[in-house]
Amino acid sequence: MTRRARARQALLVQGKAAFLPVVCAALAGLAVVARASPAQDYMLYCMGCHGTQAQGVPGRIPPLAVSLALFMRSAEGRNYVLRVPGAANSALPDAQLAAVLNWLAASYGAPGEPAPAPFTAAEVTSVRHTPLADVQARRREVLHALAASGAAPAAQY
Amino acid sequence: MMRRFDRLFEHSTRSLAQRTSRRSLLASLGQVLTGAALLPLLPIDRASRAHAASDSPASPESCDYWKYCAIDGFLCSCCGGTSSSCPPGTAASPIFWIGTCHNAADGRDYIVSYNDCCGKSGCSACDCNRNEGEKPIYRPSRNNDLNWCMANANVNYHCTVSVILGVAEK
Repeated sequence: MTRRARARQALLVQGKAAFLPVVCAALAGLAVVARASPAQDYMLYCMGCHGTQAQGVPGRIPPLAVSLALFMRSAEGRNYVLRVPGAANSALPDAQLAAVLNWLAASYGAPGEPAPAPFTAAEVTSVRHTPLADVQARRREVLHALAASGAAPAAQY
Repeated sequence: MMRRFDRLFEHSTRSLAQRTSRRSLLASLGQVLTGAALLPLLPIDRASRAHAASDSPASPESCDYWKYCAIDGFLCSCCGGTSSSCPPGTAASPIFWIGTCHNAADGRDYIVSYNDCCGKSGCSACDCNRNEGEKPIYRPSRNNDLNWCMANANVNYHCTVSVILGVAEK
């Protein structure tokens, strides 16, 4: 498909922006040499939607900066982030997905919060292959529980 | 019937002969030939050629420029911007697709992001469609058929820039 065709479909697609994949987190600068594999995997598989600093797009693409580390505080949150479409459907193998998520949580953590326990490949394997039926509803439930026990990610996604 | 035709052609031939001469024919022919010879010397808008895609792979206005390996769209370098900056009046998309391009000049592979510039109608200059490494739409970060202006306030697509993110590991 060419750009002319794409420009025509613009209005058809714009309403679906909120459903773009939800996965990884950040990068410490635009023109940086990707020396670590998780950083490169983030560039190749996550950054296109979640942004150069894992910041997301307000109201459209959930941020991974800060939010991911907060989700990782609880068992429900960890289960949720491994089953969102971007993670569950990612081309990354389980071990690489775990590495990218751990790199993101370490690089773009939640200020004032203890570092969360890292994901293991086994944890990813046991969870990600059961995608969520209703991502937004599940997100609201998880956020409600997290907010009851401390800091929670933003709710508008 | 045949007499009518004869009279008609005789009349038209005599009329033409009365109104023209061999000299006037030669004069008209001379004017046409002289005008045709002088036509290339008239001034033309050569500046507009600057908006055509270059044929040189070393030029950022050429579709063959190395970092455009996964591009699909109008080059912003032909639309009032540069290969990595949007033209005035447009805004870069915060979401984008990714490619990995080989730079023959230094033999290295680079990860490149392709950002759409949004806010004006299509530029229509330097339309390039290279798709190295493109994946289907269900792998959106590697797909260039999406309108990546979808997250902008104004979703009109104008042109595309490419930004080098880093060197690709093997």
